[in-house]
Formats: sequence, structure tokens, C-alpha cells
Amino acid sequence: MEFDWSPVLDNASFLLGGLELTLALSLCSVVMSLLVGTAIGLLRHYGPRPLQLAIAFYVDSMRAIPVLVVLVWTYFALPILTGAVLPPFWAALVALTVHIAAYVAEIVRAGVSSIRKGQLWAASALGMSLWQALRTVILPQAVVRMLPAFGSVISIAIKDTAIASVIAVPEYMNRSQTVAGQTFHPIEIFTVAVAVYFLILFPVTRLVDFVYGRLAHLGRS
Amino acid sequence: MTFDWLVVWNNIGALLDGVKVTIFLAVATMAIAVPGGILLAVMRMSGIRVVSAIATAFTELFRNVPLILVIYMAYYVLPVMSGLSASPLVTGLIALSLNVSAYNGETFRAGIASIRKGQSEAAYALGMSPWQAFRIVVLPQAIKRVLPVLASTWISLFKDTSLVSVISVGELSYAATRVRAQTFRVLEVLTAMAAIYWVLGYPQAKLVDWINHRWGRAE
Amino acid sequence: MTTASETSQRKAQGTTPVVSYSGVIKRFGAVTVLTGVSMEVRKGEVVCLIGPSGSGKSTLLRCTNGLERIDGGEILLDGQLLPSDGKGLRLMRRRMGMVFQNFELFPHKTALENVVVGPVTVLGISRDEAVERATALLAKVGLSDRAGNYPSQLSGGQQQRVAIARALAMEPEVMLFDEPTSALDPETVGEVLAVMKRLAEEGMTMLVVTHEMTFARRVSDWVVVMDKGAIIEQGPPQQIYDAPQVARTKEFLSHLGWAG
Repeated sequence: MEFDWSPVLDNASFLLGGLELTLALSLCSVVMSLLVGTAIGLLRHYGPRPLQLAIAFYVDSMRAIPVLVVLVWTYFALPILTGAVLPPFWAALVALTVHIAAYVAEIVRAGVSSIRKGQLWAASALGMSLWQALRTVILPQAVVRMLPAFGSVISIAIKDTAIASVIAVPEYMNRSQTVAGQTFHPIEIFTVAVAVYFLILFPVTRLVDFVYGRLAHLGRS
Repeated sequence: MTFDWLVVWNNIGALLDGVKVTIFLAVATMAIAVPGGILLAVMRMSGIRVVSAIATAFTELFRNVPLILVIYMAYYVLPVMSGLSASPLVTGLIALSLNVSAYNGETFRAGIASIRKGQSEAAYALGMSPWQAFRIVVLPQAIKRVLPVLASTWISLFKDTSLVSVISVGELSYAATRVRAQTFRVLEVLTAMAAIYWVLGYPQAKLVDWINHRWGRAE
Repeated sequence: MTTASETSQRKAQGTTPVVSYSGVIKRFGAVTVLTGVSMEVRKGEVVCLIGPSGSGKSTLLRCTNGLERIDGGEILLDGQLLPSDGKGLRLMRRRMGMVFQNFELFPHKTALENVVVGPVTVLGISRDEAVERATALLAKVGLSDRAGNYPSQLSGGQQQRVAIARALAMEPEVMLFDEPTSALDPETVGEVLAVMKRLAEEGMTMLVVTHEMTFARRVSDWVVVMDKGAIIEQGPPQQIYDAPQVARTKEFLSHLGWAG
């Protein structure tokens, strides 16, 4: 069994371009999901009942539908429905955000509801508004508790960008497939891909574990 | 804009055949990955450094590489490694099993470690061997304890079966792709596919919630 | 390394030592928890180990059945050296019964199953015989009507009594008790001590680490006082409780409010 690594080297800049896009898509979808998901999670916990039910429906639906399906639907079906065509990157960003935000919403809701009610009462007794209480008392504690789960959100987002290759987003996975198809050395190309993704993902989870270990005591009330 | 929803009805057979494959993949993967996970957990607890290092490396590798890449790798590597060409279904099953075993390995490792040391000591005090103590006292309790996590893993697995469609395994996503190609009714077929996943997955998610409610931390 | 001050004649409860310790040393990292302990537990005796927290009494008990490995000295069971691990140790453990402070019943098994599992799994006894034995033992500790209950459905005192039955099911030569009542509500302490008293009256050899001074005074044949990893005094209960010879013993007992 011989390995020929030259296709990897020959196409290095092409692949690196893909890697840039992987990182860009990951970053954008993480940020968007965290923003949107946090808002939804807080709305679910503190909002009126009909809103809670609607959000619950959304969150549970995303637990049932694979991200691949959301990606494909957003890219192929949404344009038919709305007439607006989204380029692959933006379709992927929308789809990933919609899917991952549900997960984030659940984390936030669980994190916030794990803070003892007494904390909110104490804040209210001091005359704080809900928003002030959230900002200064509830969220800081909740965020620490949610850190490990957020870490896995980042990990999941990065892994899901690889699925975006299916809707022609030219990220790393997609470009690896292109090179593999052209050079007929799939094993070498994909082995490098495994190494690349591992080198990105492994430190992310380790870093989150480390940060959580340092800050955990701040979240215990 | 006209929609032809009858197309979905006419092709429902093909889609349901896909569902059968989806369910088969999920069940078969779990059947392999639960014992696989227990094996990995036991290996990680082993005193023999090489054994625990291998298990840790395996777990970390498959938890930190996208599943879709594992599937492609399996597709290209397996024929070369084994000389035989496995069908896409088997290839997909292998990729899924490797992936889920790694997650279950971590789940079981944490679950086993959460059983109080005193339980093992009580077993040893009766004269049990370490294997007996593990089999009779620790493992049954660990399994019960990790049941909610395993249920969540199942939900994820059910969704992840959609990824093997990229190597032409005939589960639901692939079946939908073929119907789409044949009928050109993209929106209808894709929406139907999403709806079928929803119908299958939503009750399962609710069931998992119930399991978590019932059995979240007994001791 | 204080030598024990044995100032009274040991009641002749049979002269065979079931368990003997010579110069037992145990370290946890840099801390020496047992500094060279030598003593005997004789057949049919009830020996109580008392002393302040951190004196090493629980550690000594746990070394007795090998749950902790000793770093120096010897422990003998019936004249045989206790191995540090392996099959030999497991065989010796069958001859010693242990009752833990936290009961450590197996929560996924009923009371009856807890008592059955040892004989069936370790001694290879048939299930029918083991169930018969277990039923009799549960009756003996007063819990026949609870045989089908799970530990979570039992009070602390009931769980501890099942734990005693579980240890007795192995037909041990000596019973080791590690602060058996420390984790119990005051109301249930009595029922456990009553079972232990009955066992003593039936002639079981017992080594008990305890803070229950009234129990120790009334039921034990020999009392060993430990402090900082060494035995500072040992003797019959009348000596230790009524006329302690060593100042530290007096101090310890008065701290417990022991009026004598």
C-alpha cells in the first residue's frame, strides 16, 4: 500500500482556502447561534405562555430534524417558497444558525432555571429590574454553569460546517472532495482532513474544560 | 406557484423504504455501540497503560472528527484495508458504530466513575474478584445511571443516519434525493422528508424527556 | 511508637488469636497514619477500638481485610499471613465480614438479594440454599417482612441490619464493624446495637470501631484506645472506662462527656 502525499502539497493553497471558509462559517454560525439562541432561551424562560409553547415546539422540532435536512431545505426549497435565492455560504449560515440556536436556547433555559429563585428575589429586593438582575446576578452565574455545554456547541458547529459541503459551500470538506476526485488519492487527502479537523476541534474542547475548571466555583450558589 | 403534493403520496413507498433503512441503521449501530462503549470504558480504566491509551486515543479521535468525514474515510479506506468491498450500507454502519462507540465510551466511563467507591469495597469485602464486583455491582448501576444520556445519544444517532446518504446508502435522505431527481418537485419532496423526520423524531425526543424526568439521578 | 500499656489480665475468652497485628505501619503519602500497631483479637471476643478522629482506628480496620494495603508489619488471620492482593486475599476476605458506616447495600438489589449475592457468587452455594440462609438471617435481624424491599425503601437502621445479615451470610470467623452507627439517626441506633449485642452473646468474634461508649462499656470484652496512629492503652472495659491508666485516655473520654 503506497501513499502519495504530493496531491495534498500540490493543492495546499486550494485546500487552505477551504479551511479559511470552514473557520469563517464556524465562527459566524457560533456567534449567530449564541446570540439568537440566548435570546430565544431567555424568552422561553421569562416570556408569556404562548411564546413558551411556540419556542418549545421549535426547539423540539430541531431535535427531530437532522442538520443535513435543514441545510438542504434552506438551499433548495426555501428559494422556491420565497423566491429569494441564498448563495451556499449564506444558506449554510442560516440553516446552521436555525439548527444550533435551538440547542443553545435549551442550554440557556436550563442554565437560567438552575439558578435558585432566591437569587432573583434578592436582586428584586434591592430594586433591580429584571434586565438588571439578569445582567448582574443571574447570567454571570448561569454562564459559568453553561460553559461546558457552550463548548460542545462550538464543537458541534465546526463539525456541522463539514456537512455544508453537501450544498456546495466550498469549505474544507468540500474542497477535499474536489481534490480527491481530481487526483484519485482520496485516502491521503482525507487522512490530512482528519488531522486538520482534529487539530482544530481537540484544543477547543480541552480549552473549554480548562476554562470551566478555573471558573466553576463562580457558578455555585 | 403551484405545489403538487400528490407527488409525495405517489412516492410514499420509496420514502418509507428509506425509513426502514434509517431505523435499521440506528438500531444496528446502537446494538454495536453500547457494548463497544462499555468495552472502551473498561479499557480506559485498565491498569495497563497501552490499553487505556489506545482507548483514550480512539475516543478522542472519533469525538473530534466530523462524522461525514469518517463516513468518507470508511468508504475509501475499508476496501483498501480489507481487500473486500463492503456495501455502502455496511460501510455506513461501520462509520456510525465507530463514532457512537466513542461517545458511549465517554458516557460509560463517566457513569462508572460516578458509582461510589464504597460499593466496590462492599463487594470486595464479600470476597468478590474485581471482575465480579464490576459485573454484579458497578456495571448494573452505571447502566441505569447513564440511561438518560444514552437516550440522548440515540436521538442524535437517528439524525446522523442521514449522513450516510452521501455514500449512497438508501436511507430516508437518499430516498428523498432520488424521488426529487425523478419528479423534480423539490419543495414538496424536501418538505415531506423533513416532515417524516419530524414525525419520527418528535415523539422520540418527548420520550427522552420523560426518561430524563423519571430517571435523572436516582442515588 | 508507643507500646501498649496492658495493665490488666485479659479475660480468658479462649486464647486463640483470630486476628493478630504486629508492628502494622500505614502511610498515606507523607502522613503515617499507623505507626506500628500490635494487638490481638481472640476467638469469641468483642474488641472495641476507640479514640479521637484521625487516630487510625478505621484505617486499621480497613487494613484487616485488605481494603488498605499496609506498608509495614504483619496481619495474621488464624496464624496465616494476610496477602496484599490477589486470590489469596479474596479467599481470606470470605472469612471476615465487614459492616460499613454507610451501609453500602447494593441499591439495585432487594434486601434478600443483597444477602444472597455473596454466597451465590463467591461461595458458589446453590441459589435455593442461599435464599434459605438469607431468609433465616433476615429473620434473625428482625427484617423478614422487608426481604422484598429495595434499600431506598428502608430506613438507615434497617439498611444497616441488612448489611449485617449480608456479612453474616458468608459465615465469617470474625466480623469487622466500621463505625456502624455513626451515620444513623439516634432513634435507629438502638436497633442496630441490639443486633450486635445478640451476635456477641452468641459468641461471634467482633472488632468494632465505635463512638458508642455505653455499648462498648457493656458489650465488649476488650477495649483498645488509639491516638495518632498508635495504641495508647488497652484493657477490659472496666479499666478503660472506670479507671483509665493513661492521661490521654481520660482526656478523650471526658471530651465525650463520659461520666463513668
